[in-house]
This record gives sequence, C-alpha cells and structure tokens, in this order.
Amino acid sequence: MSRAQARPSRSISAAELLRFGLPAMLALVLAVFSALAPGFLTVANVTGVLVNSVALNAIVALAMTLAVASGGTDLSVGTAVDLGGLAFIAAVSAGQPVALAVFFGLLAGIGTGLFNALLIARLGVTPFLATLGTLFIGHSLQQLATDGGNPVYVPAGRITPALALIGHGSCLGIPLSLWLVLLLSTGIGLLLTRTRFGREVLAVGIQAPAALYSGLPVRRILALISIASGTIAALAGILLSAHVNAYVPYAGNAYLLDSIGAAFIGTALSRTGRANVPGTLLGVALFGFMTNGLLLIGWNFYWQQVGTGVLILLTLILAFAGRERVG
Amino acid sequence: MTTSAVPPALAMRGLVATFGPTRALDGASLTVAPGTIHGLIGHNGAGKSTLIKVLAGLVTPQAGTIALDGATVTGMTPGRAEALGIAFIHQERLLVPTATVGEALFLGRESAGSRFGIRRGSLRRRAEAALERVFGVTLPKGALIRDLSTAQQQIVQITRALLADPKILVFDEPTAALAQREVEHLFAAIRRLKAQGLTTLYISHYLAEIEQLCDTVTVMRNGRDVAHVDPRQVPEGGLAQLMIGRPVTELYPRQRAAAGEPVLALAGVGVGPGVRDISFTLRRGEVLGLTGLLGSGAKDLVRALFGLAPITAGTVTVDGQAARLKNPTEAVRRGIALVPEDRRAHGVALDLGIRENLTLASLGRLSRWGWLDREAERRRALDLIGELQVKTGGPDAPVRTLSGGNQQKVALGKWLAREAHLYILDEPTIGVDIAAKAEIYRLIAEAAGRGAGILLLSADPDELLGLCDRILVLFRGTIVAEHEAAGTDAGTLLQAALTGGRGAAGAASTVPAHAA
Repeated sequence: MSRAQARPSRSISAAELLRFGLPAMLALVLAVFSALAPGFLTVANVTGVLVNSVALNAIVALAMTLAVASGGTDLSVGTAVDLGGLAFIAAVSAGQPVALAVFFGLLAGIGTGLFNALLIARLGVTPFLATLGTLFIGHSLQQLATDGGNPVYVPAGRITPALALIGHGSCLGIPLSLWLVLLLSTGIGLLLTRTRFGREVLAVGIQAPAALYSGLPVRRILALISIASGTIAALAGILLSAHVNAYVPYAGNAYLLDSIGAAFIGTALSRTGRANVPGTLLGVALFGFMTNGLLLIGWNFYWQQVGTGVLILLTLILAFAGRERVG
Repeated sequence: MTTSAVPPALAMRGLVATFGPTRALDGASLTVAPGTIHGLIGHNGAGKSTLIKVLAGLVTPQAGTIALDGATVTGMTPGRAEALGIAFIHQERLLVPTATVGEALFLGRESAGSRFGIRRGSLRRRAEAALERVFGVTLPKGALIRDLSTAQQQIVQITRALLADPKILVFDEPTAALAQREVEHLFAAIRRLKAQGLTTLYISHYLAEIEQLCDTVTVMRNGRDVAHVDPRQVPEGGLAQLMIGRPVTELYPRQRAAAGEPVLALAGVGVGPGVRDISFTLRRGEVLGLTGLLGSGAKDLVRALFGLAPITAGTVTVDGQAARLKNPTEAVRRGIALVPEDRRAHGVALDLGIRENLTLASLGRLSRWGWLDREAERRRALDLIGELQVKTGGPDAPVRTLSGGNQQKVALGKWLAREAHLYILDEPTIGVDIAAKAEIYRLIAEAAGRGAGILLLSADPDELLGLCDRILVLFRGTIVAEHEAAGTDAGTLLQAALTGGRGAAGAASTVPAHAA
C-alpha cells in the first residue's frame, strides 16, 4: 500500500520526459548540427547517413533488441555479421549462385545462434558470458579462415548482376537495405507487442523465474531468440559484404557497441522500460547523425567517440532522472 | 500501561503524512512503555507501514512528534534511528544474496573481524553461535544467502538485528515465512530480550501471535490509532473486529463439494534422498493439507509435482493418466498450477502489468495462430480483477505497486484464468492481511467447488484445519500421519510435525534445518 502511496503526483511530467526524451534528443542533435554545419540537413547528406550508417546498424541493433527483450545481451552479433559475410563471399567466390550464397550466409548466422543457444539454454551459461565466448571463438575462426586476417575479395569475373542487386539494388528509389530495415522493424515490432511469443519473451526478460513458474518454456524461448539474433545479424553481414564485394575480417565488431548502445538507450528511454523497436531505431539514428554531424563540423575521428559517449551518458542521466520520479 | 513517572520508550503523537491525495497517516499516535512487547495491527493501508517508515526516518511526516525516553527527536533519518538504538526487521528481505551467512550477519559491524579484513573462520564460528543462541538452528556452513529458503533468510536477518544490541526492536511481519517451531524460537528470544529490558514493537497480521505475545496492542485504521487494548482482555475475534471496524464474517468458507474422481494419485513417490515412499490420492473438489517443519520434505515434494525437481521413484497419476512431470511446462499442460511460497520471486513478475501477469499462464487460449487477441486479453484480465477483487488503479499497473495480498491474488488468478485441475498452494497467505486472507480462502474454496483438487502446503494449523478436508503430516521425508480435519486439532498436528508422531517432544531439536 505504502508503495503505491509513495508515488507522488508530479510523475506526469517525468513520464512524458521518458516518452518523448529520445525523439527530443534526436531533434536537438539535428537542430544543433543544422545550425553548425551547412551541409548537414541536405537530402544528399541525410540519405547518405541513412543508407551508409543507419541501415546496417539498425539491422544489427534489431537483432540486439530481441536479445535485450529476453533479458540478455548478445555480444556475438558482430561475429554473426562476420561469419555471415564470410560464408556468403566464400560461396560467391567459389562460383555458387548468389541465392545459394545468401542461404550459406544465413546458415552461418543460424549456426552462431545455435551455438549460443546450446550454451545458454542447454548448459545454463548467462547470455553475456556465452556470447562473449562465441565472440572470441568467432575471432579465431576468422583468423584461421583468412590466414590471419586477410580480406577476401570477390574475383572480378564473379561479380554478377545478382550480387550487385543485393549490394546496391533499390526499389522505388529506396535502397534494399532500408527496405529490409522496414521489414524487420515491422516484423520484430509486431512480434514483441502483438504475439504470444513476444509476450513470453518479454516475461522471460523481465523476470525469468516467474516465467518458469508460470509454465513458460524458458529455455526454448531463449534458444529461439539466440538463433533469431544470429540470423538477423548475418543478414547485415551479407548486405555489407555484397556492398563492397568483399569480406573484411572482424568488420562486424564495429556494429557491436552501437547496437548495444541503441538497444539499451531505446529500452531506458521508454515509458515501460522494455526493449522496443521504435526506441532502438531512434537510438541508431541518433548515433548515426551524431557521428555524421561531428564529422561535418570537423571533429576528428577520436573525438567522435567522445561525442557518442557523452550522448549516451546524457541520455541515461535523463532516463534515470525520469525513472526516479516515475518510480 | 503504566502511570508512573517513567517516560514511554517511544511516543509518536499526531502524525500526519500525505502522498498526493492520499492521507496515509491522519493524526496517528503510538505510545510504547519501556520493556514491553507492543503489538501494532491494522490491515493493509491502515497506515502501520507508513508509521514504521516515519520511525525509521524513511518518511518525513508533515506534522507530529516523536520522542524516545521522553526526549523529542526531530529530523529523523535512517542513520539517526540506528544510532538511537532502533533496529528494524522487515518483511522484505534486505540481505545481500551473494553474501555468506556469516558475512550477512556481521557486514558493516565494526567487530566483524580483525582490523585487516574479515577472518572467515572466526566469522563462521560466531555466525553459527549466534544462530544457535537465538533460534536453536544450524544453517549450512558458509551457505550463500540466495541459496537459503525464505525462512532461513529471515532467521539470519533477525539474528543480525539482535547482534546490534538495540534498545527498541521493531518487527514488521517477522514470522510470515517461518515454520511453527521457528516462530516459537523467535517468541522465546523476544521474551528473553524483554526480560533484559528491551522494548519490542511487533507488527503482524497473525492475530493469534499478537494475543500470545504482546502486552499491549494498538489498532490502526484509516491512518489513525483507533484502539488501545490488552490482548488478553479482548474476547475471541475481538482484535479482528477492531481492525476491520465491523464484525468479521466467517474467515473460512464452509461450502464443501462432494469429492469426485481422483485428480492426483501418488504411489511410492520419492524425490532425491530426502523424500521417500509418498502415497496419497487427491480427489476433485477436495482440499488436502500438507504440513511439516522445515526439512520435512514437503517443499521438495511440491516442487517435484510441478516439474521443478525430478521425481526419482514411484508413479504419479494425473487425471487418471500416468504423468512424467519433467518440467513446469509439462506440469501446466497436465492442468497443474502452483502458487509458490516466494511470491515476489516466483509467483508474480513484479515489473509486468497486472493484466500481463494474469494472462501469462493462459496466453495460448488468448491467441490465434500465435497472435494475441488483445481485446479478449483485456476483458479476461478485467473479469479476473473483478472476481479476485484486486485493489488497483488499473489493469496495466505493474504488480510491484500492489500490496502483498493483492499480489497474491494475482499469483492465484493467473491459474484461475487457465481453469487448472489441480492447485498446489505453497503457503498461500504468507504476509497477507486478514481481509485479503479471507478473500484468498474464498477463491480456494470456489476453485474446489468447481471441481479442482487443492493441495495446500501450510505451516499454519488454523489455516489447515479451517480449509482442508484431510491433512497429511510429513516428517523427515515421509507421511507420518493423516488426519480428517474435522477430527483433529492444532496440537495433534503440531505434535506429529515435531516428533513424527512418535510422541517424544525432545525429537524436535534433531530435525535438520537444511533448505526445504
């Protein structure tokens, strides 16, 4: 009783703060950089950011969102990106049809997820540690497969129209990668909010023992999430390597921290405190425009990281201030 | 209590505390004479928790005074309260889950170890000595707090508070999770401390305990103290009437369904090394009680029946068919429901909404091709909230915001939504006030009336006698007695639970207190 009573009435503004904090933050970043860098708010630049930075980051961050929703963190999303890209490029280079190569790429992602699932669901390792192990193993596998980290380029003769379509294709003027983001966002968003499975995932993420005591198949749910996360991340790896006609070892790890940042910021700055697709997407966009803006105003690469770090901290301070008041 | 010149150990007067539109305290006063055991009762929302929080310095009142031994204290803070010798034992566990028993007992106390760090060996010995002295129990050596049962954790917490040598000891529902034998140890300890001049403020929902233990009782209702009585002078049922403000209707519903087909039959069931040769049959419409001390194996048995631990011997038949209960999902599929003892950890998901908790076990019925029918879910949740009489602002409020009794209704309601055939209820009224208790009893009786079988695990003899048709007593992993509820009494049950029915009272001390 006293808990409910201790909830003061000034919480309304704090709840609003949480609901609109992320869009407001993005608007602020856009406004500041529009004022500072003349080339920032142009169609060309915004499109560039969306296609080159946001799209792939968003796909990986959506994979991470599933992991976060189930109460874990998937540190091996970058590994799945890399292994997906490696399998895809290897198959293409060996002259396999592109469709089959995509299948192999996805298979690599499924394999990564399956390995995590084995560790998490069967052996009971916490997701953080299990996927950290997978990250290390994936790193070694790439070293072994590439003689210590040499990129694999698709031979000129194997660059087919089909490969170019995946790497550079567009529909109605919108690149394939953004269509994929739209598709995955809708799918995962509906999954989490409208389906039985999504509800079960959230229950496991919020309080796994209570889910178990309600008869939910907790292990199976965690296993499915691991596999889905690996598969989606591998999709990003396929798009990335098709875009550059090459597989670059360890390239996927660049997506790891941004995806964690986006998924957790989206979670922290939501009214319910749950992992959610709109929050993740806003987080990814925030990072993308922040980096781009800093680049345009001439900050060097090292300072860009500082900028992102400060942004994360600001967002979290905002979230905690809001949460404190909401309770 | 006394009219002499000795000032009261504690005098709180005219306290007012408001939260938004709610007046949690509305001129409440509390006077505790030194060296007495003072009871504080009132149902959830009466303001007793807020009163205690004011005393602990966690809530600052808008008006009113606090005086200790006649000296007014202003600007109370948790640190101040501790320095003034007020120690609190809360209903909710506040121990570090990853600390060992010894660390939990002595953490933050200067005398914990040497200057250069904590000596583990001596810590453990002192911990064991302290527990032995206060409760007469031994806990697993070096065990981690999180591996202890609720009851064991509570024992550690109480022991820890006593080690600080306080002047006023405040118990907030200390016995909710304790078995009868531990309750008696606690009472003995409190009486011993009283003899040494310690003042005790004792808050409990268990009115029988208040009558047994307290010298004076303050009754709170609607943020005010409404009665000050000597519990030994009050007639039977008088305290409950004072608390609720009207005569108590029958606490235990007396409608009985005719027993139907067997819903659960156990033959020679064993669980690990601790539980052996359990055989019984539970019929539809029947309420079967199960009781035993900590370590009797009753907990292991119910865990195994819900698929949380493997059944290692014998056969289990559910609804006439042999069942392999290898996990909770399988148990739920067979129509088994469990309301677990640890409500906050297992019974409800605190940060999920009431609606989401109520439908968590029956999502399959509320979805089609995997898609949730959100309108049907909402209707179902609202129906259940009405049926359960959950007091809440709305169906989407997190369960965390509910009182203990209302949380428990949600934990039970989750299974009503599934229309389970067999309810296993593990201490279903722990930490629940008398009004919510009566409602939970009503729901149990209704479920039985609809033809479900109920297996009620409880340490409260009144509850067992009031609700059950038959009661099984477990002792050291086997059934030692079976009683028709109508033909037995609390003393007989307790005797069987303590001694295994073999009569020797001294046998109790040999019962191992390992995790049940």
